[in-house]
Amino acid sequence: MKATRREILYAGGIGLLSFTLGGAKVELSPRDAREAGVKPRVLLSNEEETLAALGDRIVPGSRESGVSVYVDHQLAVSFEECMLMIQYLGVAPPFTSFYRSGLSSVNSVARARHGQPFAELTDANAEALIEDMASEKLEDWEGPPQGLFYFVIRNDACDVQYGTQEGFVRLNVPYAAHILPPSEWG
Amino acid sequence: MTLPREKVDVVIVGSGAAGAHFAARLSQAGQRVAVLEAGPEIKTEQMVSSMLWARRLKWKGAPVLETGPEPVGYVFNAGWGVGGASIHHYAVWPRMHENDFRVRSLYGRGLDWPISYADLRPYYDRVQKECGISGDAKAEVWRPAGEPYPMGPVASANQGRIVGKGFESLGMKVAPLPMAIATRTYDGRPSCIWDGWCDAGCPTGALSNALSVHWPKALAAGATLHPNTQVVRVLTESKGTRASGVEVVTAKGERVRIMADAVVLAANTIQNARILLASESSHHPHGLGNASGTLGQFVTSHLAAPIFGLHPDKTNPWFGAFGGQFLNQEHYDQKEKFSGQGAFGSYQWMIAQAVKPNGLLGIAPSRPDIRGAALKRFMERSTEHMITMTGVVEDLPIAENRVTLSQQKDAWGVPLATVQHASSPESLALWKVAVDEGLRVFRAAGADDVWNAPKAPMHIMGGTIMGKGAGDSVANRYGAVHEVPNLVLGGASLFPTSGGVNPTFTIHALASMACDQLT
Ligand SMILES: Cc1cc2nc3c(=O)[nH]c(=O)nc-3n(C[C@H](O)[C@H](O)[C@H](O)COP(=O)(O)OP(=O)(O)OC[C@H]3O[C@@H](n4cnc5c(N)ncnc54)[C@H](O)[C@@H]3O)c2cc1C
Ligand code: SF4
Repeated sequence: MKATRREILYAGGIGLLSFTLGGAKVELSPRDAREAGVKPRVLLSNEEETLAALGDRIVPGSRESGVSVYVDHQLAVSFEECMLMIQYLGVAPPFTSFYRSGLSSVNSVARARHGQPFAELTDANAEALIEDMASEKLEDWEGPPQGLFYFVIRNDACDVQYGTQEGFVRLNVPYAAHILPPSEWG
Repeated sequence: MTLPREKVDVVIVGSGAAGAHFAARLSQAGQRVAVLEAGPEIKTEQMVSSMLWARRLKWKGAPVLETGPEPVGYVFNAGWGVGGASIHHYAVWPRMHENDFRVRSLYGRGLDWPISYADLRPYYDRVQKECGISGDAKAEVWRPAGEPYPMGPVASANQGRIVGKGFESLGMKVAPLPMAIATRTYDGRPSCIWDGWCDAGCPTGALSNALSVHWPKALAAGATLHPNTQVVRVLTESKGTRASGVEVVTAKGERVRIMADAVVLAANTIQNARILLASESSHHPHGLGNASGTLGQFVTSHLAAPIFGLHPDKTNPWFGAFGGQFLNQEHYDQKEKFSGQGAFGSYQWMIAQAVKPNGLLGIAPSRPDIRGAALKRFMERSTEHMITMTGVVEDLPIAENRVTLSQQKDAWGVPLATVQHASSPESLALWKVAVDEGLRVFRAAGADDVWNAPKAPMHIMGGTIMGKGAGDSVANRYGAVHEVPNLVLGGASLFPTSGGVNPTFTIHALASMACDQLT
């Protein structure tokens, strides 16, 4: 199945996103969407994979909850529609270069240390890299401030893992909406 | 709604807390009022209960460039579109205290206001009736003189009671948090249902803001509202001593002049200064209203002191209003109490805020160091056992903390605002005092784990301060610009000092006093 056009339209079912594949609207989980060959709109495939791997290491479950699909979608929409938390953190839009340079630096450091991209690191090596990034100790880092990048990715991952209706269910917190989100994220 | 072609009595720039207040009062007094709003119309259905969707309500206008070690956090702290930041504010509405208005005379630091608490008191009393504030005036033993609140206090629950005990065991009091939130049907508005979605906008009208209180009155009285209309400069008559109207850019990019007998500038703190600086002319070469050279100066921003803890008892921290349940202003009137620690100023505690799992002020970002499997455990425990409170710490006014115009311009050629902000050593020391006290209170409350988040900016004030005359300030006690008296300013940009309380009640009280002059 090949994607001709992709839209995230309406997460009617909890955790599902709507895509248009081969002309038909289908509801898929972010993982199924990737397996079905849905391409990211802004991020490159390897960037999306790095983001999903990094997000999942920091916030387990966030890959399945769609952290990379979420960020990619938010980077594709206008600033008026953007929901990324980064807008609160003193970074001027557009935000793509922030993510792109951070993800590329994560992979460069992973390759320099272990000869592999981040997504293929062992648990221990990935955790050591993240710990150094969070505490701004990575040498040869060329992206945005490391601590800020860590904070941003962690928040994006928490947004999809814990900030949606499904996320509240996970934590047993009543959602008690005045107005239910028409979709999880735009 | 088409823009007015004829001259109107008053043109108001900005449709938020201050602009809507002016619009309601002036149109009810029979004046022809047109309100210009840079952002879009915001409909109730856009107030979607989600910390992700909430981010669509924040500032989406021209970027504000921030410099200095304590940047003001403009995007988080500002609003965009009809209702401005008022539609997603948390409605904590305490009064400023008597000593906040006389900081220079009493302590030899900071600035004085050209008015006293006694001057503003009748307007606080009037506004609390108009907007509806809930609270318990007697329990607020620190509260300056004033009428009791028109509604009983906001709901309290486990979280509030647990933290309250912490204060009490250290010999301190708590009182219900004064909030512009209905606790019973009030003026046609329903009572709050304590779901904690205030940051995403309160679509029921329980929370007092421009959309629930002032816009219905203004529109009923004939005011016209023009969204997607950005004011780029204030125009003056040939001698430069009177405002004649404003120049706007419409959504289609057309430049239009709207003429008026009076102009009210209520575009929020930083944009008020930006517009005046961008309105320079041969009579006002350094910006309109800048004879004193203070235009743009004395920007202040409260230092937030967020304290967190985990308590063995169930606290259900998601319950309540986002702003909190209780208040403590124990040391508020003793600005020099902690001078031994190099601190100066006042602070208050907003206690037991409703927290969501995510969002800048949510559970997850409070401990950025936790990740992996430990994060899941932390989230699960916190959503049942967290306790929170936030200190609002005074920021001493400093001339160098200022708005200037950048070389960079927005899409319409208006220079962007640059805001420099560095807190004084005394304010930073006071933040530390507050944090230490907050951690002590949480330990005394029985929390088994306590921590604080780093300092963060909260509310933005100053930049077009009021004062005695054209030599020391931009505007007079009524917000009228000294050199251009039919140009009136609304909002916290008028505040010479920040105090240690949230600003919006005072913004309304000042607007109410100004409206008495204009009607
Ligand atoms: C998250 C949050 C929580 C808060 N909680 C509290 C609280 O609990 N208690 C409290 O007292 N205060 C609180 N505040 C602060 C409160 O929201 C502000 O004090 C208040 O809204 C300021 O009123 P204003 O009219 O000056 O500005 P706003 O309400 O922001 O309105 C200004 C309007 O001007 C418009 N504008 C800007 N530039 C232009 C232009 N060039 N042309 C035309 N229009 C323009 C903007 O789009 C905006 O709509 C909070 C703020 C935020 C962001
Ligand atoms: S908690 Fe109350 S004030 Fe806040 S959004 Fe809900 S009903 Fe409105």
